[in-house]
Amino acid sequence: MSKWVEQFNGRMDAWGRKLHEKEIRIPIDLVTGIVFFFFALWIFLVMPDQVAISEKDVVNGRAFPTLLMAVMMLCCAMLVAKELYKLATKQPLNWKVINVQVEMKALVILAILVLTWLLSRLTGLFVVGAVFCCLGFLLYFRCRKKSYYVITLALAVAIWAAFRFALGVDF
Amino acid sequence: MLQHIIPATGLLFTLQNILWINIGVFIGSVFAAIPGLSVILCVILFLPVTYSMTAIPGMMFLLGIYCAGGYGGSVSAILINTPGTPHAAATMLDGHPLSEQGRTKAALKIALYASTFGGVFSALMLLFLGPQVARIAAQLGTAEYFMVCVFGLTIIAGVSGKSMIKGLISACLGLLISCVGSDPMTSYDRFTFGIPRLYLGLDLAVCLIGLFALVEIMSKAERRLDRLNLDTTQIKDDGVITKAEYKRMARPVLLSSIIGVMVGIIPGTGASEASWFSYNTAKNMSKHPEEFGHGSVEGIAAAESANNAVTGATLIPLLTLGIPGDGTVAIMLSALMINGLNPGLSLFTTQGDIMYAIMLGLILVNIFMLLQGKFLTTLFAKVVSIPQEILTPIIVIFCFAGAYSVNENYFDMGVALIFGALAWILRKLELPPVPILLGLVLGSMTETNFRRALLISNGSPKIFFSSVYCIIFLVLILLAVGTIVRGKIKERNASQQKED
Repeated sequence: MSKWVEQFNGRMDAWGRKLHEKEIRIPIDLVTGIVFFFFALWIFLVMPDQVAISEKDVVNGRAFPTLLMAVMMLCCAMLVAKELYKLATKQPLNWKVINVQVEMKALVILAILVLTWLLSRLTGLFVVGAVFCCLGFLLYFRCRKKSYYVITLALAVAIWAAFRFALGVDF
Repeated sequence: MLQHIIPATGLLFTLQNILWINIGVFIGSVFAAIPGLSVILCVILFLPVTYSMTAIPGMMFLLGIYCAGGYGGSVSAILINTPGTPHAAATMLDGHPLSEQGRTKAALKIALYASTFGGVFSALMLLFLGPQVARIAAQLGTAEYFMVCVFGLTIIAGVSGKSMIKGLISACLGLLISCVGSDPMTSYDRFTFGIPRLYLGLDLAVCLIGLFALVEIMSKAERRLDRLNLDTTQIKDDGVITKAEYKRMARPVLLSSIIGVMVGIIPGTGASEASWFSYNTAKNMSKHPEEFGHGSVEGIAAAESANNAVTGATLIPLLTLGIPGDGTVAIMLSALMINGLNPGLSLFTTQGDIMYAIMLGLILVNIFMLLQGKFLTTLFAKVVSIPQEILTPIIVIFCFAGAYSVNENYFDMGVALIFGALAWILRKLELPPVPILLGLVLGSMTETNFRRALLISNGSPKIFFSSVYCIIFLVLILLAVGTIVRGKIKERNASQQKED
């Protein structure tokens, strides 16, 4: 078992080293401006379907979201214009370097969180998800101390019990 | 005021309240002592617990966390030269050197006493200034209230990140999310996308768990596992503070408390600004400026009293105008509103007993912080070295348990997860999360006042420029924008000069 774990960890390390070298550079302000401009535009487009109004209303439920999206589009336009001006005058853009290894690790964490939620939901038992969450994170951290497993699992059950019996949450 | 104080005392001094204050103070101290865990995260995690409580114990619990968080951050700053919270960074400059001189207990005691003084001073300011500001707030109409909300949102958006434009985008996003669910004025559903559960809107606590807590868990991918092995036996000094040292501390503590209150009243500023400003002021006014950075008792006292003096002051705009001074108190506003306590003069008149109980409770919170700090410091110190392997899954379980407990369904857990993933993307796009939080909290109030004002004026936007208060707030907004933009340009120029 320990040999298998060593092999698995070794492969992960080698894969991690490869990914660590891979980086993606993004012109962050330009991307943010464009993404949220189109997001605001999309909200404008879905508004008639998503916000029901009465013809009699002087100020209806669309007024506030319309104002917000107009402000958002204005801010995005300013952000994009600022970056385009920098491009035109050959000034350096605001770049963000995204490390692929970090993002992959974040995805693994997200996967643990999603599985915790799914297990809780499918079994209808929160404590099952909680136990999985503990094991998932301890394995993610490559923890080898048995005492940590015992402490974490005991704490997980204790939290469930506190919410269930002390706060009366029906898990 | 007096007619409220006596019944308020009766409401406050119950076994339940005392218990919740102590639990809050304990949890706040522990969370703030652990580097990487913030007070805001702690308040978010425990917000769902307060949903089953009435206003006073709920607020006492949250205030306990908030105030003790101010002191707790200094424990790790002094012991391991790593501030538990950002505002303890100034304390670290002198706290750790004093600890290295073999006076760890003395450094912790100075931090504790100064924090308590700052906290009590701030609570008294809240008690006396709060009702006066509320009287002014009572003169505001719907248009003025809308301008107040815009003012608060603009400042927070401006100071929360590197770019004011990005802060405003975040604020708009938060306000838009608050629109999900039934229309506050007509009850028609909005942005529900055919999901019946969304008709009730998105619960604030659930959104915040995703935006602030789960995203922190995902950010573990960016960091290495740090081992903070602390030998608590190093705290073996007698902790004696001499009379001369008390004398030296008196002036910086008082002055820093005043600075802390003044900084805390301004929305958008916070404990970090107050502690650095006070630290520099104390250094400039000290007879021994050469000691600063080498274990000066004045330095620790100034930084700590200032960051705790902010706590009560941030509640002044919150309770009177509904404008939270920072992210943590924004969450407290939601805890108040859940109990039907809406900010303004009516809070001090019709709900006066409860309000004064909460304000007096803040003094009590600081007293219990002093007592717990005196007797449990060694325990707080041990907590600093809890391994991340244990801490991380426990926080996740707390997050999910909290999200589930709000409405007792797994849908909310899923919503928290979606917000966690969204926050991760926003972090990559360098969009600050605090304006989203403020947008979520102030959304309903901002929209209701905006629409009511337009209804009064029959749809004419001139109403937002018609009264003296509207003009005052408009000038304040423009001044704030001008100051923030100027500051950002200066910051950028300074960093460019450094690079050159």
